[in-house]
Parts: sequence; C-alpha cells; structure tokens
Amino acid sequence: MRIRRRLLNTFLIAGIGAGATVGGLTWHFAELAAAQGADDLREQILMFGAGGGAALLALLAVLGSALDRALTVPLTGLARGLKTSLHANPDHEIDGDAAAELGELSGAVLDAISAMAQGRAKLSAQIDDATQGIAVEKDRLEAVLRDLHEGVIICNLNHQILLYNHRAVELLHVSGEIGLGRSLFRFTNRQPFLHALERLNNRLIDGRGESRGLTAPFVASTSAGDVTLQCKMTLLTAEANEPSSYVITFDDRTHELAELGRRDHLLRQATDGMRRPLANLRAAAEILVEDPPDEPVLQQKFQQVVRDESHILSVAMEEISAEFREIITGHWPMTDIYSANLLNAAVRRLREDKGIEAIMTGVPHWLYGDSYTLLELLHFLAHAVQKVTGASMFDFEASGADGMVAVEIIWSGPAVSETNVQGWLSQQLDEALGGITVRGVLDRHRTDLWSLSGEDGRARIRLPLTAGQTEGELARGNLPARPEFYDFSLLNPDSHHEGLGSRPLKSLTYVVFDTETTGLKPSEGDEMISIAGVRVVNGRIMTGESFSRLIHPGREIPKSSIRFHGITDDMVEDQPSHDVILSEFHRYVDDAVLVAHNAAFDMKFLKLKEQATGVVFDNPVLDTLLLSVYLHDHIESHTLDAIAERFGVGVDAETRHTALGDSLVTAALFMKMIDLLEANGITTLDQARDAASKMVEVRKQQEQF
Amino acid sequence: MSKSVFIVEREANLRLSLSYLLERKGYQVRALEDGDAGAAAVSEAPPDLVLLGIDLDMRGGFDLCQCFRADPACKDMKIIFLTSKARSVERGKGLALGANAYITKPFANADLLAQVASVLET
Repeated sequence: MRIRRRLLNTFLIAGIGAGATVGGLTWHFAELAAAQGADDLREQILMFGAGGGAALLALLAVLGSALDRALTVPLTGLARGLKTSLHANPDHEIDGDAAAELGELSGAVLDAISAMAQGRAKLSAQIDDATQGIAVEKDRLEAVLRDLHEGVIICNLNHQILLYNHRAVELLHVSGEIGLGRSLFRFTNRQPFLHALERLNNRLIDGRGESRGLTAPFVASTSAGDVTLQCKMTLLTAEANEPSSYVITFDDRTHELAELGRRDHLLRQATDGMRRPLANLRAAAEILVEDPPDEPVLQQKFQQVVRDESHILSVAMEEISAEFREIITGHWPMTDIYSANLLNAAVRRLREDKGIEAIMTGVPHWLYGDSYTLLELLHFLAHAVQKVTGASMFDFEASGADGMVAVEIIWSGPAVSETNVQGWLSQQLDEALGGITVRGVLDRHRTDLWSLSGEDGRARIRLPLTAGQTEGELARGNLPARPEFYDFSLLNPDSHHEGLGSRPLKSLTYVVFDTETTGLKPSEGDEMISIAGVRVVNGRIMTGESFSRLIHPGREIPKSSIRFHGITDDMVEDQPSHDVILSEFHRYVDDAVLVAHNAAFDMKFLKLKEQATGVVFDNPVLDTLLLSVYLHDHIESHTLDAIAERFGVGVDAETRHTALGDSLVTAALFMKMIDLLEANGITTLDQARDAASKMVEVRKQQEQF
Repeated sequence: MSKSVFIVEREANLRLSLSYLLERKGYQVRALEDGDAGAAAVSEAPPDLVLLGIDLDMRGGFDLCQCFRADPACKDMKIIFLTSKARSVERGKGLALGANAYITKPFANADLLAQVASVLET
C-alpha cells in the first residue's frame, strides 16, 4: 500500500509543479506581450498556455494510473501471497493474473517458494526419523535403568540432577518425583559426594585417570541420615578430557553395614574374648600338671578354675556360633588412597576453620582405607589435639614401613595423654555418616592410635594403616639408572650465598630437585622436559609447597626415552619453554641449598641454559649420590632405589621416574643422611661439601673395577 | 633380696595362677584387680616389674603405662603387658608407650616366667 500511495503522491506533486510552471510562464509571457501592446498575442498565449497545461495534466494522470495498474497492484498482490506462503500455508498459490503482469520476477519468486516448501518437507521428514530413533534409544535406556536393582543418578558439576531412575527415588525415600534440575544435596548429605568428586578430579588432573579409571566407591547417607548408601561415582569427561558430569550408582546398605558392625564385634569376641578364659584355664591346667601345689586346698582351687573356665568357654562358643549364623557377609568399601590426596584434603578442610592451620609434609605413600571417614577422623583429631594442648599449627605426614603406612599429626608441644585419647573414642565425628564414632573408624580400619612426644619438643598422634596394594608394583619395570656424572665444578658454583657454609646442616633451607630429559647427553642436544623440586625446612619435607612443571624442549622427544619418564610430545605441546620455567624455578629456589641425586647431571643441564635464558643458579649444591658414597663407601650400588632400600624408605612405584616423585624420594633419603652425617661428625654445609668432593676421586676409582 | 612383681589383672582366676607361679619362683607378688588399685599400689612403692592388663576396670592399662613412664619415681620399673589384645597395632602401641614386653593371652606358663626373668635381668 505504501508504494501505491507514494506513487500517487509523486504524480500529484509533479502535476501541481507542472501546472504552476506552465501557468507562471504563460502569465509572464502574456504580461510581456501586453506591455508591448500586442493584445492579440496575449490572448493567444493565454489560450495556448491553458490548453497545454490541461494536456500536460491529463498526460500525467494517464501515466500515473497506468503505472499503478502495471506495477503497484501486482507487487502488492505478490507481497501478500509471499507472506501467506511463508507464514501460513506453504501450498498457497499466488494469484496468477496479478503475477503474470510482473513477468520474470514473479516466475523467480514462485520457484523460490516451491524450493523452500520442498526443503521444509525434507527437513521435517528427517526430524521425524531422528525423533523416532531417539525415542527408541530412550525407551531402551529407560528399560535398562528401570530394571536395574541399583539407583542411578546423573548430575552436572553443579550437582543438579540430569537423569535418575525409579530405584533412585525408592532408595532416597522421596515421595513423588525427584525433579530434574534440582540439587542432589536436597536428598543426600553433601560431604562424601564432594570428596569423591574431588578425588576423581585430582586423578584426572594428575593423569592417573587412564591407569586407575575414573570411578571411586564411597559411602554416603540420605539427608535425613537414616539410610546408609553404598555409592560408586564415575566421572564423565567431555572433549579435551574436561570433566562434564558424573554418574552415581548406589544401593541401600543400612542393613548390611549394621550387620557388618555386628560381625566385627563378634569376630573380636571370638578372638580376644576367648583368649581371656583360655588363658585362665591354661595357666591353671599347666600348674596342675607340671608343678602341682602341695596343699590340698590350693590344689582344689586350681581344679575349680579348670572346671569353671571350661564351662565359660563352652557357653561363649555356643553364643558366638548361634549369632554367626544370622549374619550375612558384606564389606565396607575400601580403596587404595594416595596419602598426598587424603592429607591435602584434610589440610584444606582445616583451612576453612578459624584459628587452626596445617601443612602436609613428608613423602606420600599409598594406603588402604575409606578416604572419607579417614578425612573426618583427621579433621576431628586436629581439633581435639588443639583443645587439649592449645597447639594450632599441625604437620600432616605419612610414613611407611613393614606393610603399614602411619599417618601422623605433628605439633610443637606436649603429647596428649592416653586418658584423653580414650575419651575421644566414643565421640561422634562431625557431619559423618550414621553418627560414626572415632572408635568406629578405628575398628573399621582395624587399627588404633596413640600420642608420643619426640626429643625435638614436638609431639605426634600416630595412626597406623594398611599399606595400599599399588605400592611395590613397578609401574615401568626395572629401569637402568642414569650414568654417574662427576664434574665437581658444577657443584661448586661461584656462590654469592656466603655465610651458609658454617651453618649447621639441619638449620638450612634446601630445595631437593630432579629433572627428566630427552636423553643423557646435554652437550649433544638433549633437553630438559620436566623439572620438579620440594622444599625442606627445619628437617621437614614441605610436600604441600612442591614445584613441578613440564617443559617444551623445542625438539622431538625420542621414543626410546619415553619409557623412562612417560612424557610424550603431546604432553609438552602447550607447555612453556625453558626460559619461562627456569625463571619460575629460580624464584622457587630463592637462596636455598640445591640437593639432587647425581646432581652434576641436572646442574649440567641448568648450566647449559644459563646463556640463553640469563637464569643463573649459583646456589650451593649437595649431591646425595656422593654423600651416600661417603657414608657407605664399602658398597658399590648408589642408585636411588638401592639407597632407598638401605635406608628403609618406601618408594612409590607409580611416581618413581617422575621428576617430583624422584625429588620426594631424594628428599627422604637426604633427611636420613643428615642424621648419619652428624653421627660422623659432619654437621655444617662446608664439611658436607668437603666430604662429597673427596668422594669424586673414590668413585672414579671404583668405576674402573 | 627378691624382686617384687605387681599383677594388675581383671580376671580373678588368672590372678590366682599368676600369683602362685611367680611366688614359686621366689618373687614377692602383689595382685591388684583394677586400674585405680594398680596406680595406688605403684605410687606407694614402685615394684621391680608390673604385669599389666589393658582392659581394666577404672583405668585402662595403656593409660597406666603412659603415667608410669612419665613418673620419675618409676623410671627403673619394668612393665610387661599381658593381654588378650593380639593385633600388631595394639602390640605396637603398647611398646610405643614404653612397655618392656608384650605378651598375648593365652600363653605358656614357662614362656611367661622366662619373659619376666629376662626383662628383670636387663
């Protein structure tokens, strides 16, 4: 319509303009003629002007009306038709007569409309097919989920429920629907799920997901706390190995776990409980046979003991077997736990509390247990110790020996009395499931705990746990050690760190470090691909403040070296180059004494990069290999593994031959060496460096044989 | 002079046998039935050796052991745990808290006497 109005307006204005112009001119020439006295001419001019003007206006009117009919009417019709086909009816046919007036344009528009209609039909057919396929898949999935005896819930990383099955609703004792998009924690307690998710995330970040899988068993309860759930969480990853959501499968284990508690109790009764009457019986019986008393009264007393205790034993035996028959077997889910993850979680938990702090120290070990209840126990113990002793700074440390891993909480101050420890046993752990007590957690892990004070004014709580099964299995088999490097100039840089030399070894700050490289020949193009270190302060290995980076070597990593370090080209692809990492490491080291095993090897790599990066490591350096030669010069083997075995330091096979893993082992060995060095009268840094330098010659000679 | 031995043991029948055995070997024996009685007797006059149970009424054996070890008056007194707690963790705890030996029930009388003699000799 707008086109038509504009057309009419244009013609109207053109008409008025033409009329005015013709009128004006006619009038002007007529007046000109009149002024010259030619009245005839004026009459003629006026007549021709009026006639011409009228003809011009008539022409304009005819032209306008023709345009209107030929263009605007069919265009408007076409526009209306198009609108109808697009929005209402794709099969609508555009008015043929009107369209015909527009010639090719209308043909093109009609073609476009029919192509569009066909496309639409095809698309909707495809959508129908796909929808049907999805519906079939969905039915199948629903059938599987419905028939599962276990509850299944899938959540996104914000713990919003994306999918669940009927069994999940039953197990959580929810009436009606759970409701998609609602938080999982409306129905369950929070901590065990968060803890399991964190563990799986750590596994993913550490790159252990492939070898260990991304599934973790754990125990949780409903939000009301009346139902104990045995759960399994699997982390789902999207592209680029990013976690996207998680699946939980779970089952009600309230009954089984209660049974399990009874069974444990029974087992104790059957073992420890039987020992008591048996001891009474055996002692009396042996007296009667081997060394009978002379007086008849006393003899009679012992006979009485034999009869009474035998009777007690029989009754106890009957009770136990009767009860045992009722009990079904089950098991509390225990898994291998990396102590660094457990202790780190405990440190983070404590950080949320006010007035209490903790750090993780020592070399991590694998242990076997229920991660969540142990975490709760450690959290409880730190607070309990603070209440008794007033200590507020704690070290969490794990140490291994004889198939056990002891988790220790260490503080400055007095030990906690056994009276206090006994008092803790019956206390319930905060937020933990089903009101489990300290004793419950200890029983479940078949262990106990106690407090001791050390000679250094520091006291500790010791909690022995079973070592994990992972430990001891060599992940990469036995690999040959690096050849030894002797270039003492590398270990004695022109240090500006004066005054350290006379300081006692125990008072110094060290960074124990290790590198992984593309090969053994730094001068022939081999490069560092990883560097890691751990700080040692006041005899404590500060595991929580370690440094560990991969480096882009600027060259290909030889396949033959991968079995040593497990680092591939893909892994270093996006990593920074030497200059960035070495200056970071330089800041981390600060003015600490550097310690490494076969230190000349690692120092050579650092030295060769000095020119290019401008990062100079002129710190004093100690070599644990040379110190070991000094301490045990009669023994030939001074590989990291050999020394670890000699000192009884557990080596974690999974992290051995990683820069950080080897740094931690070296740090643990170095701690042991400092004690031995002191016993040999070597107490200062200078003395230790002198001792090491003398060993360079000794070792070179040993090599020749 | 003969050595003195205290027995802190909950089971009356075992106290009878232990007293008899040790007296026959010439030790001066005093038998006590619970933790409080044991602590009181030791603080009166510490013996050369205490045979200590762990599950005791009033005060537990671990508790007593730790207190004895903290008391300078008892620094020469030997402690042997005699208990039905047989797990290695419990043995470790007993020795960590300062006991000289740890014997689990049941035991052979001859072994017990040998252990007592050897601890008293050191």
